[in-house]
Amino acid sequence: MPTRNSGDVTGTSTPFLRTTLGVLLLRIAIVVAVLVAWEMASGRLISKFWVSSPSAIFAVLRRWVADGSLWMHLEATVTAIGAGYVIGCGAGIAIGLLLGFLPRTQRVIAPFLSAFYSIPKIALAPLFVIAFGIGIESKICLVAVTVFFLVLFSTIDGIRDVDPDLIESLEIMGASRFEIATKLIIPAAKPWTFTGMRISVRYATTAAILGEVIAANRGIGFLIEYNSGQFNAAGVFAAVLILVLVGVVVTELLTRLERGSAPAVLPF
Amino acid sequence: MRTDSALQRPPSATNASAPARIELRGAAKRFAAHGAEIQALSAIDLSVQPHEFVALVGPSGCGKSTVLNLVAGLLNPSEGAVLYSGKPVAGLNRSVGYMTQKDTVLPWRTAESNVGIALELKCRRVTAQARKDRVARMIDLVGLNGFEKHFPAELSGGMRKRVALARTLIYEPETLLMDEPFGALDAQLKLLMQDQLQTLTQMARMTVLFVTHDLAEAIALADRVVVFSPRPGRIRTVRTVDLPRPRDIFNVRFSTAFARLHEELWNELKDGIALGTNV
Repeated sequence: MPTRNSGDVTGTSTPFLRTTLGVLLLRIAIVVAVLVAWEMASGRLISKFWVSSPSAIFAVLRRWVADGSLWMHLEATVTAIGAGYVIGCGAGIAIGLLLGFLPRTQRVIAPFLSAFYSIPKIALAPLFVIAFGIGIESKICLVAVTVFFLVLFSTIDGIRDVDPDLIESLEIMGASRFEIATKLIIPAAKPWTFTGMRISVRYATTAAILGEVIAANRGIGFLIEYNSGQFNAAGVFAAVLILVLVGVVVTELLTRLERGSAPAVLPF
Repeated sequence: MRTDSALQRPPSATNASAPARIELRGAAKRFAAHGAEIQALSAIDLSVQPHEFVALVGPSGCGKSTVLNLVAGLLNPSEGAVLYSGKPVAGLNRSVGYMTQKDTVLPWRTAESNVGIALELKCRRVTAQARKDRVARMIDLVGLNGFEKHFPAELSGGMRKRVALARTLIYEPETLLMDEPFGALDAQLKLLMQDQLQTLTQMARMTVLFVTHDLAEAIALADRVVVFSPRPGRIRTVRTVDLPRPRDIFNVRFSTAFARLHEELWNELKDGIALGTNV
């Protein structure tokens, strides 16, 4: 047959597997296939001790849902992420703006900030446990510190990136220092700060789980650590599965938020 | 020292009545770049009277923009003195409106919000309603109707220039410094903008220092044309344009007086360019 206009492809003859529903069904099929293969292999090809099985994992999940422990652990982790994120962002923006407007002070303390920032957070975690105990406070602190530096540095970079010619043009117009800050520097740094905030969401999740794995009495990270201590592979997989779901929800929320605020944030 | 003697001279020595609005006395500018010193502007003398429109023409790299930066207080002269209304320029000169060659519109503000920014400043105290009216009038004047809500990224280069122009004109500064404001515009629009600039500056009795490399534009607009020669920049000729005002910007260039001026200044400019390339 002679080939026709490519525009015709969008007509009624689109192959089913290319439609949104088709793609979704294809994805589900892949998941089902993997689960079935896993279930079949488990106990036959590979020992249940190492890989558990989908049915065992779902049994664990059902038990956690039934006795309410899932919500308790989920709440602990989400609270640690949320509270730490808010505190970290708040402090990062506030101190970032302060240092941005005080370039000489910033120059003096910059090496200390970089040194503190370069410490792997996993090395800090035990310190926070000593200082704040194994409760949620030490996780909030770890998340806050992680987020703080990312937001701080992106805010400082954003302020430093403001074109001096723009500042001069407003100064000649008669703008005061305060007006230059509110009308120029803060709006110019905003996309940078937002980038830092966006990136740090994922780091916040990692930091919370890390804190819980190291020392905790609740949380998803605690579930992972506790079940692996019990050599309960099904429990570990169940906890990891919850993490995956949390990750998907957070990413989805972020994408929607960004889409909603994009025109105001990204005129560049 | 030269600076001191220039300052000690009474300002009325050259002008009988009021001091010149802008006065450069032996003002020179050198820059250090890559270990070498570059003479951007040799010592020049230039004075601009209140309400006068002076155009600076010359090939690029002849120090025209440096003159504007000196008057705006963005640069200090390496020698000599720069005076504004009889007083040495110290720090930024806030009596001027400066439309630089560089695009300095704010990317997160719409066209109309960019245009009105000078009226938002505390030092002007314009009510929101008055600001709105003046912005609308300015938008109309520069022909940006329909683009009020557009962001700079959604505007063409020429439109952004017009936003910058409107933003500078809207607060009617005592003196206007303009660095090739219409360079990016097409020929017809350029004439339109020139016409509006003439009307506005005459109406508000502004003093204008206007940098361009378009000789016809300089003659059409200015009371005096200053021709620069390049590297290091110095003044080659100053010529008074005695065409009567208000000028018909669209047709003035076809008059014989204009043609004679153009030819005379073009020869000066041409010699300067030839000189520049030989150096």
